[in-house]
Amino acid sequence: MAAISLEGLFKSYGATPVVRGLSLEVRDGELVSLLGPSGCGKTTTLRMLAGLEHPDTGVIRIGGETVAGPGVRVPPERRGLGMVFQGYAVWPHRSVEENVAYPLSLRRMPKSEVATKVREALRQVRMEALATRRPHELSGGQLQRVALARALVASPRVLLLDEPLSNLDAALREELRAELAALRARLGTTLVFVTHDQGEALALSDRIAVMNQGVLEQVDAPETLYREPATPFVAGFVGGANVLTGEVREGAFHTAQSGTVFQLPADTLARPGPATLVVRPEDLTLGEQGTSLPLSARLFLGHAAEYRFPVDGTLLRVVAPPLEVRPGQTLKVQLRKARLFSVG
Amino acid sequence: MNTSARWLGLFAWLLPLVLFAVGPVVLLLARGAGAPGALGWEWLASEAGALGNTLAISGGAAVLALALGMPLSLLLFRTDLPLRGAFTVLFTLPSAIPAFIWGMGWLSLASPRAGYLNRLLGEGTLDIHGPVGIAFVEGLSGLPLVLLAGAAALRRVDPALEEAARVCGASPARALLTTTVPLVLPSLLSGAVMVFLMAASSFGVPYLLGVSASPPTRVLTTRIYELVLLGDEGLGRASALALALLLLTPLSLLATWALGRSGRVRLSTGKGLASRPLTLGRARAWVTGGVAGTCVLLVLLPLAAILLTSLQRSFGASLTWEELTLSHWSGVLLEPRTLRATGLSLLLAAGAGTLVCGLGLAAALLQRAFHRLGAGVEAIAVWPYAVPGTVLALALLLAFSRDWRFILLDKVAFVLALAHTPWLLLIAYAAKYLALGTRNSSEALAQLDPSLTEAARISGAGPLRAFVDVPLPLLRPALTVAFILAFLSCATEITMSVLLVPAGSEVLGKLLFDLQSYADPAAAAVLACAFVALVVLGQAVLALVARRAAEVR
Repeated sequence: MAAISLEGLFKSYGATPVVRGLSLEVRDGELVSLLGPSGCGKTTTLRMLAGLEHPDTGVIRIGGETVAGPGVRVPPERRGLGMVFQGYAVWPHRSVEENVAYPLSLRRMPKSEVATKVREALRQVRMEALATRRPHELSGGQLQRVALARALVASPRVLLLDEPLSNLDAALREELRAELAALRARLGTTLVFVTHDQGEALALSDRIAVMNQGVLEQVDAPETLYREPATPFVAGFVGGANVLTGEVREGAFHTAQSGTVFQLPADTLARPGPATLVVRPEDLTLGEQGTSLPLSARLFLGHAAEYRFPVDGTLLRVVAPPLEVRPGQTLKVQLRKARLFSVG
Repeated sequence: MNTSARWLGLFAWLLPLVLFAVGPVVLLLARGAGAPGALGWEWLASEAGALGNTLAISGGAAVLALALGMPLSLLLFRTDLPLRGAFTVLFTLPSAIPAFIWGMGWLSLASPRAGYLNRLLGEGTLDIHGPVGIAFVEGLSGLPLVLLAGAAALRRVDPALEEAARVCGASPARALLTTTVPLVLPSLLSGAVMVFLMAASSFGVPYLLGVSASPPTRVLTTRIYELVLLGDEGLGRASALALALLLLTPLSLLATWALGRSGRVRLSTGKGLASRPLTLGRARAWVTGGVAGTCVLLVLLPLAAILLTSLQRSFGASLTWEELTLSHWSGVLLEPRTLRATGLSLLLAAGAGTLVCGLGLAAALLQRAFHRLGAGVEAIAVWPYAVPGTVLALALLLAFSRDWRFILLDKVAFVLALAHTPWLLLIAYAAKYLALGTRNSSEALAQLDPSLTEAARISGAGPLRAFVDVPLPLLRPALTVAFILAFLSCATEITMSVLLVPAGSEVLGKLLFDLQSYADPAAAAVLACAFVALVVLGQAVLALVARRAAEVR
């Protein structure tokens, strides 16, 4: 177990910058997820942490020891980590046991001790019954468990998970997510988890680091992140909020292109001037008052319906109780709660 | 891999290749380019016949292979023809067995007086000697190239295309002819271009069937051989002809490229598109008979003829039971000369196979390590395969006819004395068949997820240990295949063996060539049978390896 510190990491492939000045502290025993859309640099960050990539500049420390920095480059095999790869990377030429025993055999451990530890690791992921199977006989979920057991078996200081659930179907993902949560409560290892699925990140993490285009946008506990997004991007990516640009004038928000006017709720902190409006779909209401907008589509969700209105070239999404309305009809939309970000 | 290790690796890999393959051929080309100036252009005009023959024979062979390969590939890979698997194996045999042996088979069948077919049809009906016979044998031995190109393309044609034609109202046969055939035609044509190249660089068959024809049919490769035999005075001319021969390669590849462009067909890259085979219906019996007859005539009959020749007391004697004998078999197989040749051949083939695997794997790894330079690495590794054996052998002969002394600080540090040693043959084999190692390893490596190796590193293995533990065992089936293919090719190689074998030692290819050309066709037939047995055995092992690899995945 160890704390991790990333300081001012830069990494580019050729002329394309992938990670741009990333700094992050992960406390001992904490689970931090790196969340962001594909291509945001989260996997590259994880690979730098693992030692599979070397940062162009910046320093990485694990448990106080500098593992990457000016003149320092500790190879992955000497960082004492466990990692689960996106495609699991279970070696097809070794049985389940042999896969899991590999990290121990490299540490020159006596055979009996290896066997005990392998059994224990397989028991933790509930795979002890399939120990002698070959990988091609296993399902995706089972391969995932083997990869996890292999990553855990040598009691790593830090466990790294690269989109471990993204290749599984929905039901299996749900199951493994719960198991992962239970496992982590038992182990207390420091965990860094890469995902593009905000639900996964919100459910599992102590803190979430949201990345966008190689930059860290916000690091906070899931609830804080959801309630108080620091940037429009975080609000849009984590909460699925509508994001509109425009200007605040006389207690109302005017969109930039079409000049559509939304009355702001009284408790909104609104400074006049250019601003970005962030509002969640459930914080909009349909009723007698508000801005008249033409409905372009209505999607039935079961407990509610999602209504879509074209505004400024994007779709304003509203989640409200199901109403008998048709596309083309004009409805009145009102803001109940909104956040404003001043521009510039 | 860090940067300096990468460059060191590239240098270590490139050094032997440049020294022993690229360098000698470039030197030969330079010499060839200078030759017409030194010897006069009139001389070159006198060789125009050989060039013309090469073009005509290779063209004929390509046309024959295409004419046979197109219907056969459709029948074997798109219809419900019975025994398709067996037919496929038999029809791919011509490429696995050296063309020289097919030449021997046809010589037994269709030499004007004593050929078995002529005895049935009347003396002199068929004559395998001369340009037509050479083109015929070359075309047949190139048939699998067209067939396999067609099979690969047919596997990638989306069956939905043909089904769409059916829905539009086309009959099954019409749908096949109007959608699938045009789509696979570019691939078949590129297979035919390969046959052209193979025929142009072939030496054994034109020698066997051309030199003793009346008038003698000379092609570039046999002229080069004759000129090399003349000694130093012929080498200049031989180099010039080698240059001409070598120029055919880029020209034909250009033709393939143009064909691919004009076709502008993009076949689907997804695999496993098993389409329903076309039912032959009432024609099934007739078609099966036709394919079986073709197979017997073109594949089995020549082999049977060789076997019969090896059992006959003397070739040309009447065919009765009393005339059959095993004396040639015991005489040839137990002779010390044969045993020595077998020993050296197997040793050289094993050595070359090992080099091919090692250097080929290295090439594949370097190709991956260097993103843009990788293509260049592959080009250098694959290129000697396209160089005709006569040219490569001649280049090595010229480059290493003298000892090379590497002088360091006024002292001879190292003498490279390869002339008249089997080492030269080892180099030639390894260089020629390096492509087998490179292609097999790079294809296997491309299918290997890099995270498998990364997982080993994270588990605590250093770079070398991780390589030995993960990619190496996973690449083993591909390397085994490469080794067997290279081993078989080298053990049965004739062209370079004939030119490079040092006086006093013997290899199988050279022995076969000498026995057939100068001594005893029956003894040669015995050796040819042994070659065929070796190839069939090798192919069986290959099939076994492929099945085992498929089971693991």
